[in-house]
Parts: sequence; structure tokens; C-alpha cells
Amino acid sequence: MKTLVLTLLMLCASSVVTAMDMDGMLMDDKGMIMNANSDTLPRDCTAISETVDITIRAGQQHAQKFTGKMFAFDQQEWNIKPCAKINITFINDDQIRHQLMIHGLPGYLYPDGMFHLELYGEGQLQASLIMPSLKKTYLVHCELPQHMEKGMKAQLKVDGGNGDLPSIPGLTAPVKADIYPVDWSSLTTAILILCVLVGCFMPFIIILNAKRFKEPIKKLLSTLKRGKSVAPTESS
Amino acid sequence: MKPKYAMLCILPLLVVLIPALIKVAPQLQEAADIIPPATIYTRSDNSSINKPCSNDHAEWRPEQVIEGVTIDAAPSCEPDNPYDIVTSVKGTNNVSMGTLMQTNFAQDAITLSDDLDHDGDPDIIRIKLEVVELNGSSPDGEFLINTFDIAPGIQPGLWVYAPKSRGMALKNFNSLVANPMLRAPSPVIRVEQGDKVYITLENTHYLPHTIHLHGVDHPWLNDEGQDNDGMEEHAVFPGKSHTYQIQPRHAGTMLYHCHVQTAQHFMMGLNGMFIVEENQPNNWLQTFNIGAGQVRHPSTAVKKVYNQEYDLHYQSVDKKLASIIQTANDPRLIAKQMARDYNMTESFENYFMLNGHSFPYTLRDAMIIADENEIIKLHVANLQRSSVALHIHGHKATITALDGVEQPEGQQITRDVFDIAPAQRTDLRLQTINDGLHNYGPGLWMFHDHVPTGTTTDGMEPGGNMAILAYKHYLDELGMPKMHDELFDQVFNKDYYAKKQAVWASGDFAALLGDAGLLAPNYGRIILFGLIAGLIIALLVLSALIVRRKKS
Repeated sequence: MKTLVLTLLMLCASSVVTAMDMDGMLMDDKGMIMNANSDTLPRDCTAISETVDITIRAGQQHAQKFTGKMFAFDQQEWNIKPCAKINITFINDDQIRHQLMIHGLPGYLYPDGMFHLELYGEGQLQASLIMPSLKKTYLVHCELPQHMEKGMKAQLKVDGGNGDLPSIPGLTAPVKADIYPVDWSSLTTAILILCVLVGCFMPFIIILNAKRFKEPIKKLLSTLKRGKSVAPTESS
Repeated sequence: MKPKYAMLCILPLLVVLIPALIKVAPQLQEAADIIPPATIYTRSDNSSINKPCSNDHAEWRPEQVIEGVTIDAAPSCEPDNPYDIVTSVKGTNNVSMGTLMQTNFAQDAITLSDDLDHDGDPDIIRIKLEVVELNGSSPDGEFLINTFDIAPGIQPGLWVYAPKSRGMALKNFNSLVANPMLRAPSPVIRVEQGDKVYITLENTHYLPHTIHLHGVDHPWLNDEGQDNDGMEEHAVFPGKSHTYQIQPRHAGTMLYHCHVQTAQHFMMGLNGMFIVEENQPNNWLQTFNIGAGQVRHPSTAVKKVYNQEYDLHYQSVDKKLASIIQTANDPRLIAKQMARDYNMTESFENYFMLNGHSFPYTLRDAMIIADENEIIKLHVANLQRSSVALHIHGHKATITALDGVEQPEGQQITRDVFDIAPAQRTDLRLQTINDGLHNYGPGLWMFHDHVPTGTTTDGMEPGGNMAILAYKHYLDELGMPKMHDELFDQVFNKDYYAKKQAVWASGDFAALLGDAGLLAPNYGRIILFGLIAGLIIALLVLSALIVRRKKS
């Protein structure tokens, strides 16, 4: 039998109104927790390997350290062992709604493969989940429109993960990168012209010193005849 | 080496090198990697930053009596010159030389005489108007002359009617700025119902113009049997003068404008409000309200019902049309460009002005300044090319007259957006009574055209005809709105309207919403590109040499 034990801690412990508890979802006027799991082991785990406490802060202020972002979590990557239990403390530093969603979890344990924390405003809540043993990278994000796109994206790696997700602030490059003008100065132009001149004189220098270069050129020719391309700067 | 072998060596090299060259070609714009470029901060130098209020004439603000004429208080930053008002009320012929010297009026600009109906006010009114070019060109250098800034750094070429003036058209010898009487909009003219009015157009401009009295009761011919409708075929040419004669029987808010090449001349600014006031005893009117705005000496009829009176003149400018007079000096070139090269059906409106100014300059002289529990008369005229949808935040005003015709009691509609088609006038009764309908309480309530273009200056927000209905205790001692310091730092800046400044360039979010910087050049790529390009050139030269040697 599967029981879900849900813990919901509010920053203001005072006025906790009636919380609704239905089918893996716990909800009150401050936020909600979906599919928390602090005791059911995934099928592929025989025991909890480690218990990790993670505090994740969310908010606009955490984007300050990244250029070109507006919202972010305070961390962008977590590495845990297979079959670890994670106790998440989710803190929202903004006056607006934020979410912490983890996707790609096994559906038999986490409906829709999803673990979901949501705070309707400034506040804090705690919930736990137990990861399967699979070597995998899980997406952690806030699903409010444009929050992930503007920086609220992170990854949770189990057993080193199976790669990186794109466009995680400060961590991975975007798939569709923005275009910025290049700071092209007169120095840049000077360097370019210098390089063109160097490139221009190179063959002549080689020819004038042909005797000294005879052996390398012969080698070059033989490689060319074999149809292999050779970097142009190799001749020196 | 034999030429044949040399060529055999060079050709495959070229085949390899040319695609490589294309592959490593440096770009002027590149995609960022994981970390996009940092935010850059543009700081304006002092020459670009305006003081919100220069406070040149604090002594003009209080209520005062000059030569027996009462002038209401005007708390705004740039109040009208009280001597202009006295002279407009009494006439240039009836004020002392001392008063006249405080103005720029010519001695025959406003001649008031003959109390024909013996009710204590003059009934023969002689007004002289000139045509003035603002922000015009000069063959003497790359500068504009008789400048009038509608907003920080914005100087579109404009034409206005101006009361006949005397002396320098510039502020002083060291300045290119127009004197304060030469400004947009064309002045509001007020006459009394039944007055015999002679309006003389003295065309001081280099192109022909007329005055058409739109909506004002006027016969088609004047007493001399000449044109009195100001139509194109009776243009008043440069250096000529023509007098239009009227004796209006109907009171109301009307217009006057040029009817030569009307579309263009109208949009250049040759339009103004012409208000016929009810005939009342002892009704000395403020003949000119220069720059429109607050009427500091309202008529007898208005004073009976209203605490205050304002003239609101909405106007728009197509920067392409406005620039024609700034790009040439030869009148033939200007005439051709304006009449034939410029196409009004392909025009745009780029600047939107209320009483000659765009935000933030509207805050200096185009605010409505109220106390609680006042009833204020607004004469609103749409002299734009497009419709105005006037909205006053926090208030619902009532339409009392449309196009100068008083609306019957049952049709005086109260609403919060007033649709005013081009050339239409709407008289409003604005009540600052906090009853949840007419007003929601005191504040610094914005009022503006709700057509989205209207609140921009060439697309830059906040701009256009935005202004504020300010309750007095929200104004500082200079008449500027309180709690607006940060906004003033942003918008009283030429660089802002020149679009050189990020909108959110200061404060907590400057790093997040400021301007993205430039990417550092990828030198590895640039060097490789240079070397390959050089090598290709060298190989081409070599092969040319080889071919030549082969032939010889």
C-alpha cells in the first residue's frame, strides 16, 4: 500500500487555514505540494542510499548574477546518488508565485512523472521524494509562462546524470542563442589586416627559402597527392 | 619546380582553403555562448539633461491685479506672462507703455475700442496676426533658428500664427531660441458675441497663407467685397496683408486655420482655437491666450459657473513634413517638396502635442491645476490629423457643447473617453468633486489621448500629449508634480527621446533591463581568417605568375 506523507511548513506558522488533501496533492492558501514521497521506494531500489537536504531558493534576485535573465533558482545543479531521498526546502523570495517542478520521474510512483512544489507568494515549504536508481538528468524548473525561459531552469543528476540540459543559466549553452553585436574595434581590423599580410607573404617566403623547405614541401606534396588536406600554417 | 607541378599543388590547396575561409569568416553579430554579454550603462552628459523647471518667473505665478485687470493665480512651472494677459484684455492701445514694454506685442497688435452696445466693454476689435516659422533653417550654418523645443531635444519645423510682435524674434542676441510669444500652438483668440472683429493677416512668411474662420459666423465677402472665407484662391502672398471681418452672432468654441495647401499647412501648425464668448456686460476678454492652457482672465459668463477655465489644443506633427523646411532655404525648393514631393496620403504622425508641448514639457505649462470641489471649463480642440480619444484618469467629465453648440440638458453626456474627430471641439465641465463618479479623490491624475500613438514622441513612451490634472497639494513650490523625481531624471533628457538611453537604465533593475553589451571579438577565428585570406591571395598571385611565365 502506498501512503503519502505530506509535510507543509509555512513561513508564517500562525494562520494555517484548512489544507486540502486529495490524491497526492496538498493545498492551502499559501501553496501546494503534489506527489511528495518520503517513504515509498522505487521498484529498482532496495534501500535509501543517502538522505540529502536541499534548500532551493527561487526569485528574481537570484537572476542578478546572470546576464540576460530575469528569474532564477539560487542553484542550477544538484548531484545525488541513485536511490537517494531528497528533503527539499523550497523558499520563494518573491512576492509572486513560483514553482519547483521535477520531471521525468517514474509514473507509477509520481503521477505524470512529476514532483511539484508551488508557493503562491513569499514563503517556504518542505517535501521529500526518493529518486530511482537510473543514471539520469532530471529537469527542475518553474513552469509559469516564461519563467524557465528567462532563467528558472536547473538540473538534478542522479549517478552523474545522462548529459546536460540546454540553456541552464551560467552552465550550458542555449539551443537557440540570442544574437549580439560584436565589439569590433580598429584594433580588431588591424589584427585582421596583419594576418592577411602574413598569410600573403607566407608562400613567397617559402619559395624564396625553397631549398631550406625542400624536404617539408616534398612531404606536403606527397600528402596532397594522397588527397589529404593540410592546414595552411603547417609549412613553417 | 616545374610550372605544371606547381599548379597541381596550388589548385587543390585553393579548393580546400576557400571553404575554410567561408567557414571561419568573422561576423559583426554572433550568437552568445553560455554567458551573454554584460549590461552596459550609458550616462548622459550634462548638456543632454534638462532641469525639470528652470523657474524663470516665480513672480508671474500669484494672483495679481495689473492696471485694474485681475489675473488668476497660475501655480505651474511656466505661468503665462501677466503683462501679456493685461495687454490681451485691455488692448495694446489701452495699456501703459510700461506694461507694453513687458511684452513682445506690436503697438497695433490688439486695438480695442467703441462700446457700441454701451455695456461697459469694447466692441470693435482689431487683431493683427503674423505667420512665424519655428525651428526653421538657415543658409548660414548647420543650425535651426527661432527654435522651440516641443520636448527634450525635439525641434520639428513648425508654422504658427502669432500676435503681431515687435523687436527681436529671438530670446536675445546670443540665442537661437524664439522669444516666448513665438511658440506653438497658434494663440487662442477670444472675442465677444456681437463684436465687430477685424482680423488682419500680415503675411510675414515666405509662402502664401490665409485665415479661414472655421465654424465662426462670418459672411463670405468682407465689407470691401473681398474674400472673407480664407480660401486657397484668395491667398495672401508674402509681404501682403488682408483683413477678414466678422460680427459673430453665435457663441462657442470654434477654429481658425490656413486654407492654402490645407493638408500640409494645417499640419505644419497653422491652426488655432477661436472662441466666441457670450455677450455680457463689462465683459473684458483675454483676446489672446498665448500657448493656450489656463485662461487667467476668464469671461464674465464663465466666471459665473466655473472656478477655472482651460484651453486644450491637441496637435500632431509628421516629422517628414516638418523636416522639409529644415533641409532647404530656397522657397521654390520648399514649395516643391511640400506640395509635390511630400504625399499627405502617405503621412504619419510622429509627435503629439498638447498646447505646443509633448510630455514631459507639458508638465511645465499644460497641466490642469485644481483644488477639490471645483468646476472647471475645458475647451478641447482636436487639431491633429487623426482622432483624439481624450481620457482623464480618476474623473468623468460632462460634455456641455460640441463644435461650439451648447448641448441641451438631456444630451450633456458624462463619460471618461471623449472621441473627438479632427477639427472637432468639445467643451467639458470637469468636476473635482469626490463622489465616486465625477472624481475619485485628489491626486496627480494623468490625462491623455488614449489612441496608443498619442502618448509617444516618435514612438518613445512616455511622451506625446500626456499631461497631468494636478491637485494643488501634490505640487511643489515650482509647480511641478511631487513624487516624480525618478521619472524626471529619466525623461528630462535629450538622450532619452533620441532613443540612446535604456528605459530602465537606473535603479535595482538596471542590470537586468538595461542595454545588453557587445560580444568580445573571437580573435582565434579572426587570425585564422586573416591568414587563410592572405594565403589565398598569395596563391592566386603565384598561379597568375606561373601562367604568365608559361606563356612567355
